[in-house]
Amino acid sequence: MSQSPAPIQRPARRGWLRDLRRLLLYTAKRLLALFVTVLVGVYLTIVIANMGGQVDELRRVQIRSEAAEAVRADPAFQDLSSEERHELIERQVALEVERLRLDEPFMVRSVDYLQQAMRLDLGRAEQMHSDRGSRAVYDIIVERLPATVLLFGTANLLVFFTSVLVALFLSRRYGSALDRSVVALAPTSAAPGWFYGIFLILLFAFVVPWLPAGGMVAVPPPESNWAYAGSLVRHLLLPVAAMFLSQIFISIYSWRTFFLIHASEDYVEMARAKGLPSRLIERRYILRPTLSPIITSFLLMLIGLWSGAIILEQVFNWPGLGSLLFQAIGHRDTPVIIGSVVIFAYLLAVTVFLLDILYALLDPRVRIEGGQR
Amino acid sequence: MSETLLRVEELALHYRTRQGTVRAVDGISFDIRRNEALVVLGESGCGKSSLAKALMRVLPRNVAHQGGRVRLGEVEVSALPDERFRREVQWSRLALVMQASMNALNPVVRVGEQVAEPLRVLHGWSRKRALDRAVEVLELVGVSTDFLARYPFELSGGMRQRVVLAMALVAEPELVILDEPTSALDVLTQASIMNALKRIKRELDTSFILITHDVATSSELADRVALMYAGQLVEVADAARFFGEPAHPYSQMLMASVPRLRQRTRPEPIPGQPPSLFDPPGGCRFAERCPYRFARCAQDPPAFRLGERHRARCWLHAENEGNPGGGR
Repeated sequence: MSQSPAPIQRPARRGWLRDLRRLLLYTAKRLLALFVTVLVGVYLTIVIANMGGQVDELRRVQIRSEAAEAVRADPAFQDLSSEERHELIERQVALEVERLRLDEPFMVRSVDYLQQAMRLDLGRAEQMHSDRGSRAVYDIIVERLPATVLLFGTANLLVFFTSVLVALFLSRRYGSALDRSVVALAPTSAAPGWFYGIFLILLFAFVVPWLPAGGMVAVPPPESNWAYAGSLVRHLLLPVAAMFLSQIFISIYSWRTFFLIHASEDYVEMARAKGLPSRLIERRYILRPTLSPIITSFLLMLIGLWSGAIILEQVFNWPGLGSLLFQAIGHRDTPVIIGSVVIFAYLLAVTVFLLDILYALLDPRVRIEGGQR
Repeated sequence: MSETLLRVEELALHYRTRQGTVRAVDGISFDIRRNEALVVLGESGCGKSSLAKALMRVLPRNVAHQGGRVRLGEVEVSALPDERFRREVQWSRLALVMQASMNALNPVVRVGEQVAEPLRVLHGWSRKRALDRAVEVLELVGVSTDFLARYPFELSGGMRQRVVLAMALVAEPELVILDEPTSALDVLTQASIMNALKRIKRELDTSFILITHDVATSSELADRVALMYAGQLVEVADAARFFGEPAHPYSQMLMASVPRLRQRTRPEPIPGQPPSLFDPPGGCRFAERCPYRFARCAQDPPAFRLGERHRARCWLHAENEGNPGGGR
């Protein structure tokens, strides 16, 4: 029992200074770790997408057949002898191989690729091009990004905020009829968004033709900005509804369970005994200590946009990254596939970094323990 | 040491579960005077913590029945609606140190802020004023001001327990309920917290209800002892009387089961198990384990008065005092 009459200092400020120093150290460490993570992730993608250099062989064969085809089809070379023609083809192939540096070992080139990818120099697509005609992979991807962000951002934000608010409400009414019906409806989320999408299109675009069946705006696009926005919203309704339907119940269910668990912590019961008003308990004793996992799932959900995008965008003919990736895989356009992954890796890294900083700001347990190790 | 602070009559708290109704608190009556410490003894599962919860109105969702009258000072507390009880009684007059108070602190709020919180929320004090008061109570329970800006996870178990105790004392309540305040701590920390409690009881005008299963530790603080068995109080007596010559057979057997330092007696265990609270037996609940059992034990015994402020719930004492009942 230290009964020493300790001098009353300003302990709060000392605490903040200490916390700030630890926070900075922690941030630097996390930044370094994330950089290494992205580096490894991108390099692995390059190696895997090139099948460890195996793709080079395929590419050589492709170059040769293209060169042969070009020579055969060109009337200027009609009267060459077969030796001359063969020589010409070999020269063309050698030029192309040199241009693509296929004569250098794959390991050497992979390091160059890595450098380029890390600088977001994503190279040129083999087959595809952007709507404006650019063949740069970066342009192709950046052109499609807003469409995906708009569609999945809208749907996911709606699902997130609706489910968290409804879940808080239900956790206060545990066991009520409403609560039980939400639990009973949770299995409806076993079907993916595009599954509901098909039925929604059938119902609202064909049986009762209220809404467009697909696309992002009417063709031709309306002139005025307002009409354009209106058309965009009409096209958004069905895909957003499909995603909302497929996710909302499981999302409410899991958040409700999350809040129920955290509402039975000892310190919440203590806060009740302390006679604090229930709004304050909800804010300071349930939401505040659990803010880190809530924000995690929010940001990871935002970054997870394109995970479900491929089929849904295909069903709704939505010109986003999902359908881009679908086409790129169809065309075996390796640079586009790698480019998508690189951009995703960067987005993910930025998100995780943001999360780390937020964690440290929100949760003293993270910054202080992280700083001591 | 005369004025009655708290009077509890026929307090009941039943829970609804899948297996049936649990009668955790089943008609409990007692009273406490100002600056008095009542120790509520009982084995695990006899309803001790439910008693604390019922008094504090911190109830789980599955309450099936809640009854009885609680009077604190001049106020019929049990008649107050929840909102008035929260604003007028909870923490400002009646505070609780919960069992498992290791986790009773919000992990993301600094210790000083948490201790000061009830004053700021309930009394609307300024931050500065509330923190100054927090420093006062923290020193009273033996926590240095260095800890004010720390987070709970930076504190040892004993320190956390002291902080929770400080939080309970911060609004100067008339009665503090301590639910197993030392059971998760090592013996040395236990002793120093009990010493702090004794000092606080001397210095302040506060009454305590100390809920515990630890006979030895509790004897240091107790002015009065209430022994609980299967949801009921079987004996209430002054501490000296209870530890010296307990009246109820269960009390006697309990005292005989406690190891003693200076006597060469072997501790005698009590054979058998306490009855299930789902469907407590009719008649005396201790009858099954009682060596003095006789025919009348098939009927539920009332609490017989054995002297001033001494009651026991046992037919053996029916002839000592032909005056059953609550003594209201």
